[in-house]
Amino acid sequence: MENYIIEMINITKKFPGIIANDNITLQLRRGEIHALLGENGAGKSTLMSVLFGLYQAESGEIRKDGKVVKINNPNDANDLGIGMVHQHFKLVENFTVLENIILGVEPNTAGFIKKKEAREKVLEISEKYGLKVDPDALIEDITVGMQQRVEILKMLYRDNEILIFDEPTAVLTPQEIKELLQIMKGFASEGKSILFITHKLNEIMEVADRCTVLRKGKYIGTVDIKDTTKEELSRMMVGRDITFSVQKKEANPTDVVLSVRNVSVPSVDNKKEVVKNVSFDVRAGEIVCLAGIDGNGQTEFVQALTGLSKISSGTITLCGKDITKASIRERSIAGISHIPEDRHKHGLVLDYKLEENLVLQRYWQPEFQKGGFIKFDAVRKYAERLIDEYDIRSGQGPITITRSMSGGNQQKAIIAREIDKDHELLVAVQPTRGLDVGAIEYIHKQLVARRDAGKAVLLVSLELDEVMDVSDRILVMYEGEIVGELDPKTTTVQELGLYMSGAKRDTVKEINDAGEK
Amino acid sequence: MAIFLGLIFGFIVMFVAIPSSAVAGFKFILLGGFRRIGDVFYFATPIIMTGLSVGFAFKMGLFNIGASGQYTMGMFFALYVGFMMDLPGNTHWIVAILAGMLGGMIWGFIPGVFKALLNVNEVITSIMFNYIGMYLVDMLIQTNAIMYEPTKTRTNYLPAEVQIPALGIPGSNVNLGIIFAILIGVILYIILQKTTFGYELKATGYNKYASEYAGMKGKRNIIITMVIAGALSGLGGAFAILAPSAIAGSSMTYEPINIIAQAGFNGIAVALLGNSHPIGTIFAAIFISHIQRGGTLASLVGYKPEIIDVVIAVIIYFSAFAMIMNAALARFVKRLITHKEDDTLTTNVNLEGPIQTSEPHQLNNDEKPDNNTKEAE
Amino acid sequence: MKKILALTLAIAMVAMSLVGCSAPAKENQSGGNTPSQGSGNAADGFEIALITDKGNIDDKSFNQGSWEGVVAFAEAEGISHQYIKPEEASDAGYLAAIDLAVTGGAKVVVTPGFLFEVPIFEAQNKYPDVKFILLDGAPHSADYSTFETKENVASIMYSEEQSGYLAGYAAVMDGMTKLGFMGGMAVPAVQAFGYGYLQGAEDAAKELGLADGSVEVTYHYTGNFEENDTNKATARTMYQEGTEVIFACGGAVGKSVMSAASEAGAKVIGVDVDQRYDSETVITSATKGLAASVIAVLESIYKTNSWDTFGGKTTYFNAANDGVGLPTTVIGDENADAFDRFEKFTKEQYEEVFSKLADGSIEVKRTIEVADATGYATAQELTNSLGLVKVKVTTR
Repeated sequence: MENYIIEMINITKKFPGIIANDNITLQLRRGEIHALLGENGAGKSTLMSVLFGLYQAESGEIRKDGKVVKINNPNDANDLGIGMVHQHFKLVENFTVLENIILGVEPNTAGFIKKKEAREKVLEISEKYGLKVDPDALIEDITVGMQQRVEILKMLYRDNEILIFDEPTAVLTPQEIKELLQIMKGFASEGKSILFITHKLNEIMEVADRCTVLRKGKYIGTVDIKDTTKEELSRMMVGRDITFSVQKKEANPTDVVLSVRNVSVPSVDNKKEVVKNVSFDVRAGEIVCLAGIDGNGQTEFVQALTGLSKISSGTITLCGKDITKASIRERSIAGISHIPEDRHKHGLVLDYKLEENLVLQRYWQPEFQKGGFIKFDAVRKYAERLIDEYDIRSGQGPITITRSMSGGNQQKAIIAREIDKDHELLVAVQPTRGLDVGAIEYIHKQLVARRDAGKAVLLVSLELDEVMDVSDRILVMYEGEIVGELDPKTTTVQELGLYMSGAKRDTVKEINDAGEK
Repeated sequence: MAIFLGLIFGFIVMFVAIPSSAVAGFKFILLGGFRRIGDVFYFATPIIMTGLSVGFAFKMGLFNIGASGQYTMGMFFALYVGFMMDLPGNTHWIVAILAGMLGGMIWGFIPGVFKALLNVNEVITSIMFNYIGMYLVDMLIQTNAIMYEPTKTRTNYLPAEVQIPALGIPGSNVNLGIIFAILIGVILYIILQKTTFGYELKATGYNKYASEYAGMKGKRNIIITMVIAGALSGLGGAFAILAPSAIAGSSMTYEPINIIAQAGFNGIAVALLGNSHPIGTIFAAIFISHIQRGGTLASLVGYKPEIIDVVIAVIIYFSAFAMIMNAALARFVKRLITHKEDDTLTTNVNLEGPIQTSEPHQLNNDEKPDNNTKEAE
Repeated sequence: MKKILALTLAIAMVAMSLVGCSAPAKENQSGGNTPSQGSGNAADGFEIALITDKGNIDDKSFNQGSWEGVVAFAEAEGISHQYIKPEEASDAGYLAAIDLAVTGGAKVVVTPGFLFEVPIFEAQNKYPDVKFILLDGAPHSADYSTFETKENVASIMYSEEQSGYLAGYAAVMDGMTKLGFMGGMAVPAVQAFGYGYLQGAEDAAKELGLADGSVEVTYHYTGNFEENDTNKATARTMYQEGTEVIFACGGAVGKSVMSAASEAGAKVIGVDVDQRYDSETVITSATKGLAASVIAVLESIYKTNSWDTFGGKTTYFNAANDGVGLPTTVIGDENADAFDRFEKFTKEQYEEVFSKLADGSIEVKRTIEVADATGYATAQELTNSLGLVKVKVTTR
């Protein structure tokens, strides 16, 4: 009998129409880092929710130290020493770090919080694991990485011994990821047991002791990391071989398609500039990546580029035409295709049929309307062609309500629409966000295909692997400014990370020089 | 189904009030309207128009609670043309109807502009314009000696030539207005379903960010939608006030007694019951009118008008309510069966939504009720 | 929590479907013996019908007053009765309601209010066998070209000016010098009340030998018959300006005035029916005998067989036939003094002035020339036409 601290035996959890967890077994040893690997929708979150008491399994049992336990709600989980760092932090923005940590378990005498005592405990823990958090800082003032540490401190403060990390690295910079992984190792050596949910193979290879793989709700297997490879894991996860690096030929940039000069964009409240004096070119036949940590002005820049918001100064030229003041529609006609960051908010009308969404950018063209009346036959035919060509899968074909489609196929619909429309410049903002390996592979291929067809591609991405693999040129954005231009073939992830975190920057002149090359 | 539920509750109320007459009275409510088919259509006319007005704006995601004000303005403009302009007999009523439409358009345009250009919520503006319109019309009428008859505290009788020609169904004032109303409903249906404007309008209503992303002119569309909604309500007012009278020399009259027109609010119920669908709205209005006409007959078996009003309100609102609840019920019952409890977590599952493959996974749990709503139509 | 809700709803749904099953069954069961119309059990027909005008049956005014008369008479005599609310406030709508009443078996139709003048003009020809009691109006054609009261119609009018006169007289005799009048809209009845009120105040001031202009009256039309905040605010302002009593003469306007009065600790004079039971602030009410007149006519039909006295003509109910006046008794207490809320004014004083009205020795003007289209008289018009000396009128 091995020393398992938590065992989930033969867990089955059904939702209407699907089996989210089908007879899944997960055994966590004391003091190990156990990775839980699977594509989106493989059932990882459901399994963790069962463990955390948010769902009840239809069958199967959970054991703590070999004894069967019943977890009906998160409080039960807490009592058993299970803590979770959620993907989206649950912190009170205008409370201090300390206040957030003790929230709900405030040590008190007759209602008065014993802050001093709490502070000492927090400082002690944070010292022990090298978390380095200022207990008096306000949450809204500290970085995402620090906020995550506050979440971790919350678990430790509650003396949890089983720590669940739900995709913890998605929001971090490379440096922060490194530190986090280090911290996790420290926990393990202190005897804490860690469940690490992720789909990033590199991280698993680096820290995990063992890994359990799920696919489409089914248990595939548990492997020892030291006996396996990345390729093996990905095969278990996806069910087939995946090419990790994007296959592409040498780029062959020709004419300048997009030319951005000295563009500044004001923030929504108009109080400051979130994009400052940005200038660059994108040529036909190259993929330029705008890299950076989320919230450094990329979103605002793209909105200004596509006409969704206004710029305060500068010019934007597309194929020699000044489109600085053009409307969204005019820019679209001029040749900008835009795969938006938030496909549900901007990219699709979810309550429309698939075919209606596929003509969202083109319904007004003579091909699809006459005298203000939509030619539904033409729309249907067009939709059927796109569905066929781009392999968009849905329940009822063109008349499927878009909302009922899977995220990957929704994204495919957007890509089909934007690529099929006449364009010179394809702006793709985080096109693979939230998608699994298979879909990511497909989208990367499409981006490269666009490039090879002689179009200009501007990719905005937060994923370092994507930035390094797909792009021909990298522009790093930090606090609204372009701080560096890098060549993915000659740079390293570490160097890119330094630029992204603002630790390193080139002068404008250097960037321009790089651009001249 | 929804209506069936409403009827059952209506019957319960009647049974509680006067058990012995409940069956006879309820029969009147259910079937009485068929005896008064002309009146059913006559009284349906204005609420079809306000229902279309509310429903049309709702398709765009706008809540036109200002239908009452637009309706009142429509009445006033129609009355003004009727009293103050001297036009040839066979065109006078047509001009008056068009004037009513214009009045409503103006009263829809203003909240539309406020919404589009200043981002002032249309609910606030249109509620304010209900009051402004009502007080303004009351004032304009009371100070106009040709239009106002002070000893009766209402307007004078309109000349016969301004009244919309009756359809000649005996015992009823049903007139060409109902034909126009149904035609307009069909036209709206075509606009919504078949035109690029309807496509833009619905897209904006469903997701205004996506419509902006697709380069639709949101502000222009908001204004146009409110103008059209206003025009519809204004027409409703014109149809109501220009209705012919069974009594020679008489006519409909307007009483400037500082009360906001009910027709506008009834329009909300009608649009709700018709699920904002133009054709559905027509049927909803006719259904409501049918129940009301039958309800009036129920006083023949001893029901007091107030009780009948309660029964009718119960039927209408339970029907509308049940349509909403249908979806919720389906969800709750499903939850009950599958022991599925947490909402937030369901959303989590959705976010993860499987990719690539098209297995049942995709049926996001949260969205299912939406499909049910559609079925309920 | 959600589970419980779900369960409740599920149960409710099952319950509903059960009811749903039983309802049609019941209908079938009794369907055979349910008469399609008219005949049969008592609930199916009614002999006396009242059509409400634009207000509700509890409007504390015409509808309520006349309905009380119908109920009092019909219950005493065991005659079936019912009221009907028109579907539409138009001549055609009123006529349709009369049609419905006749379909329901009505032999006598009571129509309170002048809005029924045109519909009755039509109905009197349409239903020669049905008797109509038209309160506060006389039948005429829509274009006013023909005024005709057929044999089957009793047109009843009230001398509101006499009632108003008594109210104004009582207030000033009681020692008040700052009076208010809040009418609804300037319809003839309301105008008559107001004019009478001013004349009564004038005469009382003369009798007391007060100086010219020593009685101040604020005269106001609200423009509606509603209970609303505007009306209440107006009344409150008047009270704050020192007004001691307001004659609230406009249906539900009275409720607003009473609520303002109870806040200000001031007085109200009610209208149409005795409103002392609605609020402590009501010192008296300028009533017209709505119920009494309806009963009188109904008696002529059912008891004394003297329809001729009312049918085919317009009858004025005034002081001479006890048709108007201030209340002299308190319902439910025969010994109580209906004048207990006055400080000085007594029943004896009232009876003295009432008898003068009844015998015609005091004449009260009912109408005056008003220039404005709304019928709102100016202070000048009021003062000149009514010959006011002691009373100083300001309009608002």
